[in-house]
Amino acid sequence: MTGAVAAAIAVGLAALGAGVGNGLIVSRTVEGISRQPELRGALQTTMFIGVALVEAVPIIAVVIAFMVM
Amino acid sequence: MNNYSVMINRQRKWMLYLLAISVIGWGFTDYQVIFQSLIIGIVAGFFNLFLLQKKIDIMGEKAANNQTAKSFGTLSRFAAAALVVVIILRYPEQFHIIAAVVGLMTPYLVIMIDFIFSSKKTTSTKRGE
Repeated sequence: MTGAVAAAIAVGLAALGAGVGNGLIVSRTVEGISRQPELRGALQTTMFIGVALVEAVPIIAVVIAFMVM
Repeated sequence: MNNYSVMINRQRKWMLYLLAISVIGWGFTDYQVIFQSLIIGIVAGFFNLFLLQKKIDIMGEKAANNQTAKSFGTLSRFAAAALVVVIILRYPEQFHIIAAVVGLMTPYLVIMIDFIFSSKKTTSTKRGE
């Protein structure tokens, strides 16, 4: 029971952080693409690297949560 | 072909190289447990990478056409990582958890190293070249 609560807290907080980070990245990128569609390739590349770096941490959190559960 | 398509093709190519190296290690060395854990981790990581590239491409296309994209696929990526961990915890004799986590994190290493090399290549040329 304690392990399940710990896993839920770990995954929940990590997903919260990832959601905020992804939201910031994606909102700025979508704004930039809609202003200048010809820069889509460069902006997508920057967004891809940012989203990948943000999402690495919650995936590790999911792994650790399933290990402690 | 824009630079995003070139980048994602390069990353997929490197992931397939690493997967091939893991399969060769599984077939020709004595560390079969380590390499089959690496294979399962790299397969899940490659699925995550493929999904992320596809979703970002869809989102860019929708944003360029003033439409809205529905989802970003984060839950599917978390579920793939959870599936790998559940399989490994279910069969601890056949798999090694550290190797699988290393395989799961391989696409992020590929992305970072690829970004470092590609940014060095683009910044080392002078303006106008």
